[in-house]
Amino acid sequence: MAEANLSPSPSGGYYNYPVIRRPVWTWEIPVYFWLGGIAGGAYLTSSAAGLFGDDDDRRATGGGFYIAAGALLPCAPLLIADLGRPDRFHFMLRIFKPLSPMNLGAWTLAGFTPMAVARAMAQAGGEARLPMLLSLLSRLVPSRLLELSGSVFGLVLAGYTGVLLGATNVPLWAKSKLLPGLFTASAVSAGAAAVSWSAERSASDRTLAKLATVETAGTLGELGLAFGYIRQSGRAARPLMARPYALPFWGGAVGLGGIVPLVLRLAARGGSNRTKRRLGTVAAACTIIGSLALRWSIFEAGKKSSEDQQASMEMATPKE
Amino acid sequence: MIEAYQRVMNVESPPAPKTPKGFFTDTSLCIGCKACEVACKQWNQLPADGYRLSGDSYDNTGRFSATTWRHVEFVEQAKANSRRDGQRWLMMSDVCKHCANAACLEACPTGSLIRTEYGTVYVQQDICNGCGFCVPACPFGVIDRAPKHGTFEPGTAHKCTLCYDRLRDDMTPACAKACPTASIQFGDVEELQARARRRLGELRTRGESRAQLYGMPENEEAREVGPLHAFFLLLDKPAVYNLPEVPRLPRKSMAQRYAWSGAVAIGAAVLSALVFGRRG
Repeated sequence: MAEANLSPSPSGGYYNYPVIRRPVWTWEIPVYFWLGGIAGGAYLTSSAAGLFGDDDDRRATGGGFYIAAGALLPCAPLLIADLGRPDRFHFMLRIFKPLSPMNLGAWTLAGFTPMAVARAMAQAGGEARLPMLLSLLSRLVPSRLLELSGSVFGLVLAGYTGVLLGATNVPLWAKSKLLPGLFTASAVSAGAAAVSWSAERSASDRTLAKLATVETAGTLGELGLAFGYIRQSGRAARPLMARPYALPFWGGAVGLGGIVPLVLRLAARGGSNRTKRRLGTVAAACTIIGSLALRWSIFEAGKKSSEDQQASMEMATPKE
Repeated sequence: MIEAYQRVMNVESPPAPKTPKGFFTDTSLCIGCKACEVACKQWNQLPADGYRLSGDSYDNTGRFSATTWRHVEFVEQAKANSRRDGQRWLMMSDVCKHCANAACLEACPTGSLIRTEYGTVYVQQDICNGCGFCVPACPFGVIDRAPKHGTFEPGTAHKCTLCYDRLRDDMTPACAKACPTASIQFGDVEELQARARRRLGELRTRGESRAQLYGMPENEEAREVGPLHAFFLLLDKPAVYNLPEVPRLPRKSMAQRYAWSGAVAIGAAVLSALVFGRRG
Protein backbone atom coordinates (compact mmCIF):
# COMPACT_ATOMS: atom_id res chain seq x y z
CA MET A 1 0.00 0.00 0.00
CA ALA A 2 1.50 3.30 -1.06
CA GLU A 3 1.88 6.02 1.59
CA ALA A 4 -0.97 8.27 0.59
CA ASN A 5 -1.66 11.61 2.20
CA LEU A 6 -4.10 10.61 4.91
CA SER A 7 -4.30 14.00 6.52
CA PRO A 8 -7.38 16.23 6.34
CA SER A 9 -5.29 19.10 4.93
CA PRO A 10 -3.56 19.15 1.52
CA SER A 11 -0.37 20.42 3.17
CA GLY A 12 -0.27 17.43 5.52
CA GLY A 13 -1.20 19.43 8.64
CA TYR A 14 -4.34 19.66 10.74
CA TYR A 15 -7.10 21.02 8.48
CA ASN A 16 -6.13 24.59 7.66
CA TYR A 17 -5.38 25.69 11.18
CA PRO A 18 -2.20 27.77 11.49
CA VAL A 19 0.57 26.29 13.63
CA ILE A 20 1.26 29.54 15.49
CA ARG A 21 -0.93 32.34 16.72
CA ARG A 22 -1.37 35.64 14.89
CA PRO A 23 0.48 38.56 16.48
CA VAL A 24 -1.87 40.88 18.35
CA TRP A 25 0.10 44.08 17.71
CA THR A 26 -1.52 46.91 15.75
CA TRP A 27 -0.50 49.96 13.64
CA GLU A 28 1.23 51.72 16.56
CA ILE A 29 4.15 49.30 16.31
CA PRO A 30 5.31 49.93 12.69
CA VAL A 31 4.85 53.68 13.22
CA TYR A 32 7.06 53.43 16.30
CA PHE A 33 9.65 51.37 14.36
CA TRP A 34 9.69 54.12 11.74
CA LEU A 35 9.99 57.05 14.18
CA GLY A 36 12.60 55.24 16.27
CA GLY A 37 14.59 54.51 13.12
CA ILE A 38 14.47 58.13 11.96
CA ALA A 39 15.47 59.33 15.42
CA GLY A 40 18.43 56.95 15.57
CA GLY A 41 19.56 57.70 12.04
CA ALA A 42 19.18 61.49 12.35
CA TYR A 43 21.00 61.53 15.69
CA LEU A 44 23.87 59.49 14.25
CA THR A 45 24.15 61.73 11.20
CA SER A 46 24.14 64.99 13.17
CA SER A 47 26.57 63.56 15.71
CA ALA A 48 28.97 62.45 12.98
CA ALA A 49 28.74 65.94 11.47
CA GLY A 50 29.30 67.50 14.89
CA LEU A 51 32.19 65.27 15.91
CA PHE A 52 34.04 64.92 12.62
CA GLY A 53 32.75 67.64 10.32
CA ASP A 54 33.81 71.24 9.83
CA ASP A 55 32.03 74.32 11.16
CA ASP A 56 29.70 74.44 8.16
CA ASP A 57 28.60 70.86 8.71
CA ARG A 58 28.07 71.37 12.42
CA ARG A 59 25.99 74.51 12.00
CA ALA A 60 23.78 73.13 9.26
CA THR A 61 23.03 69.71 10.73
CA GLY A 62 21.90 70.79 14.21
CA GLY A 63 18.32 70.28 13.07
CA GLY A 64 18.93 66.53 13.26
CA PHE A 65 18.91 66.75 17.05
CA TYR A 66 15.49 68.44 17.01
CA ILE A 67 14.23 65.76 14.64
CA ALA A 68 15.57 62.97 16.86
CA ALA A 69 13.94 64.41 19.98
CA GLY A 70 10.71 65.18 18.16
CA ALA A 71 10.49 61.70 16.65
CA LEU A 72 11.21 60.05 19.99
CA LEU A 73 8.56 61.86 22.00
CA PRO A 74 5.55 60.02 20.51
CA CYS A 75 7.36 56.64 20.72
CA ALA A 76 6.61 55.71 24.32
CA PRO A 77 2.93 56.77 24.07
CA LEU A 78 2.54 54.65 20.89
CA LEU A 79 4.02 51.60 22.60
CA ILE A 80 1.90 52.11 25.70
CA ALA A 81 -1.26 52.41 23.59
CA ASP A 82 -0.56 48.99 22.07
CA LEU A 83 -0.26 47.23 25.43
CA GLY A 84 -3.08 45.02 26.64
CA ARG A 85 -2.79 46.77 30.01
CA PRO A 86 -1.46 50.29 29.30
CA ASP A 87 -1.73 51.15 33.02
CA ARG A 88 1.09 48.67 33.65
CA PHE A 89 3.54 50.14 31.10
CA HIS A 90 6.22 50.73 33.74
CA PHE A 91 6.42 46.97 34.40
CA MET A 92 8.65 46.92 31.30
CA LEU A 93 11.41 48.38 33.46
CA ARG A 94 10.78 46.35 36.62
CA ILE A 95 13.58 43.98 35.55
CA PHE A 96 16.60 44.16 33.25
CA LYS A 97 16.41 41.18 30.89
CA PRO A 98 18.42 41.71 27.68
CA LEU A 99 17.48 38.15 26.63
CA SER A 100 14.11 39.64 25.74
CA PRO A 101 14.60 42.11 22.86
CA MET A 102 11.49 43.93 24.02
CA ASN A 103 12.94 44.54 27.47
CA LEU A 104 16.23 45.66 25.90
CA GLY A 105 14.29 47.98 23.61
CA ALA A 106 12.32 49.49 26.48
CA TRP A 107 15.56 50.28 28.32
CA THR A 108 17.16 51.66 25.15
CA LEU A 109 14.18 53.93 24.51
CA ALA A 110 14.15 55.01 28.15
CA GLY A 111 17.85 55.86 27.89
CA PHE A 112 17.91 57.43 24.45
CA THR A 113 14.88 59.73 24.84
CA PRO A 114 16.38 61.91 27.64
CA MET A 115 19.74 61.96 25.83
CA ALA A 116 18.16 63.20 22.62
CA VAL A 117 16.00 65.74 24.46
CA ALA A 118 19.02 67.05 26.40
CA ARG A 119 21.09 67.31 23.23
CA ALA A 120 18.24 69.14 21.47
CA MET A 121 18.08 71.53 24.46
CA ALA A 122 21.80 72.21 24.14
CA GLN A 123 21.27 72.88 20.44
CA ALA A 124 18.43 75.30 21.15
CA GLY A 125 20.53 77.02 23.82
CA GLY A 126 23.43 77.35 21.40
CA GLU A 127 21.15 78.89 18.80
CA ALA A 128 19.79 81.30 21.46
CA ARG A 129 16.26 79.98 21.14
CA LEU A 130 15.70 79.35 24.84
CA PRO A 131 14.60 81.66 27.65
CA MET A 132 17.35 82.82 30.04
CA LEU A 133 17.11 80.15 32.71
CA LEU A 134 16.82 77.18 30.34
CA SER A 135 19.61 78.62 28.27
CA LEU A 136 21.93 78.62 31.27
CA LEU A 137 20.85 75.09 32.10
CA SER A 138 21.47 73.93 28.55
CA ARG A 139 25.13 74.97 28.86
CA LEU A 140 25.61 72.22 31.40
CA VAL A 141 24.74 69.55 28.84
CA PRO A 142 27.85 67.53 27.88
CA SER A 143 27.11 67.66 24.15
CA ARG A 144 30.13 65.73 22.88
CA LEU A 145 29.59 62.87 25.33
CA LEU A 146 25.89 62.74 24.45
CA GLU A 147 26.70 62.63 20.75
CA LEU A 148 28.87 59.56 21.27
CA SER A 149 26.63 57.66 23.69
CA GLY A 150 23.42 58.74 21.98
CA SER A 151 24.66 57.46 18.63
CA VAL A 152 25.20 54.02 20.16
CA PHE A 153 21.74 54.05 21.75
CA GLY A 154 20.19 55.35 18.53
CA LEU A 155 21.72 52.59 16.44
CA VAL A 156 20.54 49.96 18.92
CA LEU A 157 17.06 51.48 18.80
CA ALA A 158 17.11 51.39 15.00
CA GLY A 159 18.19 47.75 14.79
CA TYR A 160 16.70 45.91 17.76
CA THR A 161 13.23 46.19 16.22
CA GLY A 162 14.31 43.76 13.50
CA VAL A 163 15.74 41.42 16.14
CA LEU A 164 12.45 41.64 18.05
CA LEU A 165 10.38 40.65 15.03
CA GLY A 166 12.92 37.90 14.28
CA ALA A 167 12.66 36.57 17.84
CA THR A 168 9.22 35.14 17.07
CA ASN A 169 8.02 32.15 15.06
CA VAL A 170 6.33 34.26 12.37
CA PRO A 171 7.73 32.91 9.07
CA LEU A 172 8.14 36.26 7.29
CA TRP A 173 9.84 37.86 10.29
CA ALA A 174 12.02 34.97 11.41
CA LYS A 175 13.01 32.88 8.37
CA SER A 176 15.71 35.29 7.16
CA LYS A 177 18.21 36.74 9.61
CA LEU A 178 18.77 39.90 7.54
CA LEU A 179 15.77 41.87 8.84
CA PRO A 180 17.71 43.67 11.66
CA GLY A 181 20.35 44.76 9.12
CA LEU A 182 17.65 45.89 6.72
CA PHE A 183 15.92 47.99 9.41
CA THR A 184 19.23 49.54 10.49
CA ALA A 185 20.20 50.49 6.92
CA SER A 186 16.76 51.95 6.31
CA ALA A 187 17.02 53.95 9.56
CA VAL A 188 20.36 55.42 8.49
CA SER A 189 19.09 56.48 5.07
CA ALA A 190 15.82 57.89 6.46
CA GLY A 191 17.64 59.66 9.30
CA ALA A 192 20.18 61.23 6.96
CA ALA A 193 17.33 62.18 4.63
CA ALA A 194 15.50 63.88 7.51
CA VAL A 195 18.64 65.87 8.38
CA SER A 196 19.25 66.96 4.80
CA TRP A 197 15.58 67.90 4.48
CA SER A 198 15.86 70.11 7.58
CA ALA A 199 19.18 71.58 6.43
CA GLU A 200 18.05 72.20 2.88
CA ARG A 201 17.85 76.00 3.25
CA SER A 202 20.80 76.69 5.50
CA ALA A 203 23.45 74.16 4.47
CA SER A 204 26.32 74.71 2.07
CA ASP A 205 26.45 72.63 -1.10
CA ARG A 206 29.31 70.63 0.35
CA THR A 207 27.41 69.72 3.50
CA LEU A 208 24.38 68.72 1.47
CA ALA A 209 26.58 66.53 -0.71
CA LYS A 210 27.98 64.82 2.38
CA LEU A 211 24.48 64.18 3.72
CA ALA A 212 23.46 62.83 0.33
CA THR A 213 26.41 60.44 0.40
CA VAL A 214 25.35 59.00 3.79
CA GLU A 215 21.74 58.75 2.65
CA THR A 216 22.64 57.06 -0.64
CA ALA A 217 24.95 54.58 1.08
CA GLY A 218 22.09 53.68 3.43
CA THR A 219 19.70 53.30 0.53
CA LEU A 220 22.10 51.05 -1.38
CA GLY A 221 22.58 48.88 1.69
CA GLU A 222 18.83 48.81 2.23
CA LEU A 223 18.13 47.67 -1.33
CA GLY A 224 20.79 44.96 -1.20
CA LEU A 225 19.58 43.66 2.14
CA ALA A 226 15.94 43.79 1.00
CA PHE A 227 16.66 41.53 -1.95
CA GLY A 228 18.69 39.16 0.21
CA TYR A 229 15.87 39.14 2.75
CA ILE A 230 13.24 38.25 0.14
CA ARG A 231 15.45 35.54 -1.37
CA GLN A 232 16.16 33.92 1.98
CA SER A 233 12.53 34.09 3.09
CA GLY A 234 11.30 31.91 0.22
CA ARG A 235 7.73 30.73 0.75
CA ALA A 236 7.45 32.89 3.87
CA ALA A 237 7.66 36.04 1.68
CA ARG A 238 4.53 35.14 -0.31
CA PRO A 239 2.32 37.76 1.42
CA LEU A 240 4.73 40.44 0.12
CA MET A 241 4.23 39.21 -3.44
CA ALA A 242 0.45 39.54 -3.54
CA ARG A 243 -2.25 42.05 -2.77
CA PRO A 244 -2.54 44.03 -0.56
CA TYR A 245 1.10 44.16 0.58
CA ALA A 246 2.91 43.95 -2.78
CA LEU A 247 2.19 47.59 -3.61
CA PRO A 248 3.40 49.15 -0.32
CA PHE A 249 6.45 46.87 -0.29
CA TRP A 250 7.61 46.90 -3.93
CA GLY A 251 6.12 50.25 -4.89
CA GLY A 252 6.55 52.04 -1.57
CA ALA A 253 9.60 50.64 0.19
CA VAL A 254 11.69 49.42 -2.76
CA GLY A 255 10.50 51.80 -5.51
CA LEU A 256 9.68 55.09 -3.82
CA GLY A 257 12.05 54.61 -0.88
CA GLY A 258 14.97 53.06 -2.73
CA ILE A 259 15.08 53.33 -6.51
CA VAL A 260 13.42 56.76 -6.93
CA PRO A 261 15.88 58.58 -4.58
CA LEU A 262 18.81 56.91 -6.29
CA VAL A 263 17.57 57.94 -9.72
CA LEU A 264 16.87 61.50 -8.53
CA ARG A 265 20.34 61.87 -7.02
CA LEU A 266 21.85 60.50 -10.20
CA ALA A 267 19.78 62.83 -12.37
CA ALA A 268 20.73 65.85 -10.22
CA ARG A 269 24.45 65.23 -10.74
CA GLY A 270 24.86 67.24 -13.93
CA GLY A 271 22.33 69.93 -13.00
CA SER A 272 22.75 73.33 -11.41
CA ASN A 273 22.98 73.72 -7.65
CA ARG A 274 19.36 74.81 -7.53
CA THR A 275 18.16 71.68 -9.32
CA LYS A 276 20.35 69.61 -7.02
CA ARG A 277 18.74 71.12 -3.97
CA ARG A 278 15.23 70.66 -5.31
CA LEU A 279 15.69 67.08 -6.43
CA GLY A 280 17.58 66.32 -3.21
CA THR A 281 14.62 67.47 -1.13
CA VAL A 282 12.25 65.30 -3.14
CA ALA A 283 14.65 62.34 -2.81
CA ALA A 284 14.83 62.85 0.96
CA ALA A 285 11.04 62.92 1.27
CA CYS A 286 10.76 59.72 -0.79
CA THR A 287 13.33 57.97 1.41
CA ILE A 288 11.45 58.92 4.57
CA ILE A 289 8.09 57.73 3.23
CA GLY A 290 9.66 54.54 1.89
CA SER A 291 11.07 53.77 5.31
CA LEU A 292 7.53 53.80 6.76
CA ALA A 293 6.25 51.66 3.87
CA LEU A 294 9.03 49.14 4.51
CA ARG A 295 8.17 48.66 8.16
CA TRP A 296 4.41 48.78 7.71
CA SER A 297 4.31 46.25 4.87
CA ILE A 298 6.68 43.77 6.53
CA PHE A 299 4.80 44.13 9.81
CA GLU A 300 1.33 43.57 8.32
CA ALA A 301 2.43 40.91 5.83
CA GLY A 302 4.03 39.09 8.77
CA LYS A 303 0.64 38.77 10.44
CA LYS A 304 -0.66 37.19 7.23
CA SER A 305 2.31 34.82 7.05
CA SER A 306 1.61 33.66 10.61
CA GLU A 307 -1.49 31.96 9.18
CA ASP A 308 0.53 30.00 6.61
CA GLN A 309 0.54 26.48 8.05
CA GLN A 310 2.98 25.15 5.47
CA ALA A 311 5.48 28.00 5.89
CA SER A 312 5.49 27.35 9.65
CA MET A 313 6.02 23.64 9.09
CA GLU A 314 8.86 24.27 6.62
CA MET A 315 10.59 26.58 9.08
CA ALA A 316 10.42 23.83 11.72
CA THR A 317 11.96 21.07 9.61
CA PRO A 318 15.41 19.87 10.64
CA LYS A 319 18.28 21.39 8.68
CA GLU A 320 20.70 18.98 7.01
CA MET B 1 19.15 48.28 53.63
CA ILE B 2 18.22 45.40 51.31
CA GLU B 3 16.24 43.80 54.09
CA ALA B 4 14.28 46.99 54.66
CA TYR B 5 13.62 47.25 50.92
CA GLN B 6 12.40 43.66 50.79
CA ARG B 7 10.11 44.25 53.76
CA VAL B 8 8.63 47.42 52.28
CA MET B 9 8.26 45.93 48.80
CA ASN B 10 6.90 42.67 50.18
CA VAL B 11 9.62 40.63 48.43
CA GLU B 12 9.32 36.93 49.14
CA SER B 13 12.00 34.35 48.36
CA PRO B 14 10.82 31.85 45.73
CA PRO B 15 9.59 28.46 46.97
CA ALA B 16 12.11 25.59 46.95
CA PRO B 17 12.06 23.50 43.72
CA LYS B 18 9.97 20.32 43.82
CA THR B 19 9.97 17.24 41.60
CA PRO B 20 9.06 18.37 38.06
CA LYS B 21 5.43 17.64 37.24
CA GLY B 22 3.85 17.19 33.84
CA PHE B 23 1.40 15.44 31.55
CA PHE B 24 1.84 12.33 29.45
CA THR B 25 -0.97 12.39 26.89
CA ASP B 26 -1.38 8.96 25.33
CA THR B 27 -3.42 9.67 22.21
CA SER B 28 -3.98 5.95 21.56
CA LEU B 29 -6.37 5.99 24.51
CA CYS B 30 -8.21 9.22 23.64
CA ILE B 31 -11.88 8.75 22.73
CA GLY B 32 -12.55 12.42 21.96
CA CYS B 33 -15.06 12.98 24.79
CA LYS B 34 -13.71 16.50 25.51
CA ALA B 35 -14.21 16.02 29.24
CA CYS B 36 -10.71 17.56 29.64
CA GLU B 37 -11.77 20.71 27.77
CA VAL B 38 -14.85 21.06 29.93
CA ALA B 39 -13.06 20.31 33.20
CA CYS B 40 -10.38 22.87 32.33
CA LYS B 41 -12.95 25.54 31.56
CA GLN B 42 -14.89 24.76 34.70
CA TRP B 43 -12.00 24.71 37.15
CA ASN B 44 -10.28 27.76 35.67
CA GLN B 45 -13.58 29.63 35.21
CA LEU B 46 -12.96 30.22 31.50
CA PRO B 47 -15.94 31.53 29.52
CA ALA B 48 -17.45 29.58 26.62
CA ASP B 49 -16.24 30.37 23.10
CA GLY B 50 -19.58 30.36 21.25
CA TYR B 51 -21.42 27.73 19.25
CA ARG B 52 -19.65 27.82 15.90
CA LEU B 53 -19.68 24.53 13.96
CA SER B 54 -16.40 24.17 12.11
CA GLY B 55 -17.16 21.26 9.81
CA ASP B 56 -13.76 19.81 10.73
CA SER B 57 -14.88 16.45 12.09
CA TYR B 58 -16.01 16.77 15.70
CA ASP B 59 -13.55 19.56 16.43
CA ASN B 60 -15.56 22.71 17.01
CA THR B 61 -12.90 24.20 19.27
CA GLY B 62 -10.38 24.65 16.48
CA ARG B 63 -7.37 25.99 18.31
CA PHE B 64 -6.05 27.35 21.57
CA SER B 65 -7.03 30.81 22.75
CA ALA B 66 -6.84 32.90 25.90
CA THR B 67 -9.91 30.99 27.11
CA THR B 68 -9.14 27.53 25.63
CA TRP B 69 -6.25 25.74 27.33
CA ARG B 70 -7.09 22.15 26.35
CA HIS B 71 -8.05 21.32 22.78
CA VAL B 72 -9.14 17.93 21.44
CA GLU B 73 -8.19 17.31 17.81
CA PHE B 74 -10.04 14.90 15.52
CA VAL B 75 -8.01 13.66 12.57
CA GLU B 76 -10.11 11.72 10.07
CA GLN B 77 -7.79 9.65 7.95
CA ALA B 78 -10.13 8.34 5.28
CA LYS B 79 -9.42 7.21 1.77
CA ALA B 80 -12.20 7.00 -0.75
CA ASN B 81 -12.78 3.61 -2.38
CA SER B 82 -10.44 1.78 -0.11
CA ARG B 83 -10.79 -1.03 2.36
CA ARG B 84 -11.72 -0.14 5.90
CA ASP B 85 -8.37 -1.01 7.44
CA GLY B 86 -6.72 1.97 5.74
CA GLN B 87 -8.99 4.33 7.62
CA ARG B 88 -8.35 5.77 11.07
CA TRP B 89 -9.87 8.35 13.35
CA LEU B 90 -7.14 9.87 15.49
CA MET B 91 -7.96 11.93 18.54
CA MET B 92 -5.57 13.95 20.64
CA SER B 93 -5.98 16.25 23.58
CA ASP B 94 -3.48 19.05 23.02
CA VAL B 95 -2.18 21.36 25.76
CA CYS B 96 0.63 23.79 26.62
CA LYS B 97 3.88 21.79 26.45
CA HIS B 98 5.57 23.54 29.42
CA CYS B 99 8.87 23.45 27.47
CA ALA B 100 12.17 23.12 29.32
CA ASN B 101 13.36 26.12 27.26
CA ALA B 102 10.15 28.07 26.85
CA ALA B 103 10.05 30.67 24.07
CA CYS B 104 7.22 32.59 25.77
CA LEU B 105 9.12 32.79 29.05
CA GLU B 106 12.28 34.03 27.34
CA ALA B 107 10.36 36.62 25.34
CA CYS B 108 8.49 38.05 28.34
CA PRO B 109 9.91 41.55 29.07
CA THR B 110 8.26 42.03 32.46
CA GLY B 111 9.13 38.75 34.16
CA SER B 112 5.45 37.87 34.36
CA LEU B 113 6.10 34.46 32.80
CA ILE B 114 8.04 32.35 35.27
CA ARG B 115 9.14 28.78 35.85
CA THR B 116 7.37 27.47 38.93
CA GLU B 117 8.72 25.18 41.62
CA TYR B 118 7.10 22.29 39.70
CA GLY B 119 9.11 23.07 36.56
CA THR B 120 6.05 24.37 34.75
CA VAL B 121 5.61 27.68 32.91
CA TYR B 122 3.18 30.11 34.51
CA VAL B 123 1.81 33.60 33.70
CA GLN B 124 1.57 35.84 36.76
CA GLN B 125 -1.63 37.72 36.04
CA ASP B 126 -0.73 40.62 38.32
CA ILE B 127 2.53 41.29 36.42
CA CYS B 128 1.54 40.76 32.76
CA ASN B 129 1.10 44.10 30.97
CA GLY B 130 -0.21 42.55 27.78
CA CYS B 131 2.75 43.40 25.53
CA GLY B 132 1.83 40.41 23.35
CA PHE B 133 5.41 39.28 22.65
CA CYS B 134 4.83 35.73 23.97
CA VAL B 135 1.97 35.18 21.48
CA PRO B 136 4.01 34.90 18.23
CA ALA B 137 7.06 33.60 20.13
CA CYS B 138 5.43 30.28 21.05
CA PRO B 139 6.26 27.69 18.35
CA PHE B 140 3.09 25.72 19.19
CA GLY B 141 0.54 28.56 19.03
CA VAL B 142 -0.52 28.04 22.63
CA ILE B 143 -0.43 31.32 24.53
CA ASP B 144 -2.76 34.17 23.61
CA ARG B 145 -3.71 37.63 24.83
CA ALA B 146 -7.31 38.08 25.96
CA PRO B 147 -9.15 40.80 23.99
CA LYS B 148 -8.50 44.26 25.42
CA HIS B 149 -12.18 45.11 25.63
CA GLY B 150 -13.49 41.67 26.54
CA THR B 151 -15.00 40.52 29.79
CA PHE B 152 -12.40 37.86 30.66
CA GLU B 153 -9.18 39.25 32.21
CA PRO B 154 -8.89 41.94 29.50
CA GLY B 155 -5.55 42.48 27.84
CA THR B 156 -3.32 39.92 29.58
CA ALA B 157 -1.77 36.66 28.32
CA HIS B 158 -3.26 33.29 29.22
CA LYS B 159 -2.51 29.63 28.83
CA CYS B 160 -2.55 26.33 30.75
CA THR B 161 -1.19 26.77 34.28
CA LEU B 162 -0.93 23.01 34.80
CA CYS B 163 -3.47 23.84 37.50
CA TYR B 164 -0.84 25.52 39.66
CA ASP B 165 -3.46 26.23 42.31
CA ARG B 166 -4.41 22.54 42.48
CA LEU B 167 -0.76 21.40 42.54
CA ARG B 168 -0.16 23.56 45.61
CA ASP B 169 -2.82 21.46 47.38
CA ASP B 170 -1.45 18.16 46.07
CA MET B 171 -4.38 17.73 43.71
CA THR B 172 -4.33 16.38 40.16
CA PRO B 173 -4.95 18.97 37.40
CA ALA B 174 -8.61 19.15 36.38
CA CYS B 175 -8.17 17.71 32.87
CA ALA B 176 -6.25 14.64 34.01
CA LYS B 177 -8.73 14.11 36.83
CA ALA B 178 -11.65 14.21 34.39
CA CYS B 179 -10.13 11.99 31.68
CA PRO B 180 -12.16 8.73 31.71
CA THR B 181 -9.62 6.61 29.77
CA ALA B 182 -6.34 7.74 31.37
CA SER B 183 -5.29 9.23 28.04
CA ILE B 184 -4.13 12.25 30.06
CA GLN B 185 -1.79 11.09 32.78
CA PHE B 186 -0.37 13.45 35.38
CA GLY B 187 2.67 12.88 37.55
CA ASP B 188 6.43 13.24 37.99
CA VAL B 189 7.95 13.88 34.56
CA GLU B 190 10.67 11.22 34.91
CA GLU B 191 8.23 8.55 35.92
CA LEU B 192 5.84 9.52 33.12
CA GLN B 193 8.68 9.31 30.61
CA ALA B 194 9.47 5.74 31.70
CA ARG B 195 5.80 4.88 31.44
CA ALA B 196 5.63 6.40 27.95
CA ARG B 197 8.59 4.32 26.75
CA ARG B 198 6.96 1.11 28.06
CA ARG B 199 3.69 2.01 26.38
CA LEU B 200 5.38 2.73 23.06
CA GLY B 201 7.08 -0.67 23.15
CA GLU B 202 3.74 -2.30 23.87
CA LEU B 203 2.01 -0.60 20.95
CA ARG B 204 4.90 -1.34 18.58
CA THR B 205 4.70 -5.07 19.39
CA ARG B 206 1.00 -4.91 18.66
CA GLY B 207 1.76 -3.63 15.20
CA GLU B 208 1.21 0.14 15.61
CA SER B 209 4.26 0.82 13.47
CA ARG B 210 3.68 4.57 13.17
CA ALA B 211 3.33 5.17 16.91
CA GLN B 212 5.95 7.59 18.28
CA LEU B 213 6.65 9.72 21.31
CA TYR B 214 6.74 13.52 20.96
CA GLY B 215 8.72 15.73 23.32
CA MET B 216 11.06 13.22 25.00
CA PRO B 217 14.60 14.41 25.85
CA GLU B 218 16.20 12.22 23.14
CA ASN B 219 13.80 13.30 20.39
CA GLU B 220 14.47 15.71 17.55
CA GLU B 221 11.74 18.08 18.76
CA ALA B 222 13.64 18.66 22.01
CA ARG B 223 16.67 20.01 20.13
CA GLU B 224 15.83 23.68 20.68
CA VAL B 225 12.94 23.92 23.14
CA GLY B 226 14.23 21.07 25.31
CA PRO B 227 12.20 18.18 26.68
CA LEU B 228 8.51 18.94 26.99
CA HIS B 229 6.91 18.68 30.42
CA ALA B 230 3.67 17.84 28.64
CA PHE B 231 4.59 15.22 26.06
CA PHE B 232 2.62 12.89 23.82
CA LEU B 233 2.33 9.45 22.36
CA LEU B 234 1.21 9.98 18.76
CA LEU B 235 -0.09 7.45 16.24
CA ASP B 236 1.27 9.35 13.22
CA LYS B 237 3.81 11.99 12.20
CA PRO B 238 3.72 15.15 14.37
CA ALA B 239 2.63 17.29 11.38
CA VAL B 240 -0.65 15.35 11.21
CA TYR B 241 -1.49 16.87 14.61
CA ASN B 242 -0.14 20.32 13.57
CA LEU B 243 2.91 19.78 15.78
CA PRO B 244 6.18 21.18 14.34
CA GLU B 245 8.93 18.65 13.64
CA VAL B 246 11.62 20.77 15.33
CA PRO B 247 9.91 23.60 17.24
CA ARG B 248 12.12 26.69 17.03
CA LEU B 249 13.44 28.57 20.05
CA PRO B 250 13.94 32.20 18.92
CA ARG B 251 16.92 32.69 21.25
CA LYS B 252 19.01 30.24 19.16
CA SER B 253 19.36 32.63 16.22
CA MET B 254 19.27 35.90 18.15
CA ALA B 255 23.07 36.45 18.22
CA GLN B 256 23.21 36.21 14.42
CA ARG B 257 20.40 38.74 14.13
CA TYR B 258 22.14 41.18 16.48
CA ALA B 259 25.33 40.61 14.48
CA TRP B 260 23.62 41.75 11.25
CA SER B 261 22.21 44.82 12.94
CA GLY B 262 25.58 45.55 14.56
CA ALA B 263 27.52 45.10 11.33
CA VAL B 264 25.31 47.57 9.47
CA ALA B 265 25.38 49.98 12.45
CA ILE B 266 29.18 49.95 12.67
CA GLY B 267 29.39 50.35 8.91
CA ALA B 268 27.08 53.36 9.06
CA ALA B 269 29.00 54.97 11.93
CA VAL B 270 32.39 54.53 10.25
CA LEU B 271 31.08 55.69 6.90
CA SER B 272 29.44 58.83 8.26
CA ALA B 273 32.56 59.67 10.27
CA LEU B 274 34.69 59.32 7.14
CA VAL B 275 32.28 61.30 4.98
CA PHE B 276 32.16 64.25 7.39
CA GLY B 277 35.81 63.98 8.36
CA ARG B 278 37.07 64.29 4.81
CA ARG B 279 38.87 67.60 4.31
CA GLY B 280 39.62 69.33 1.08
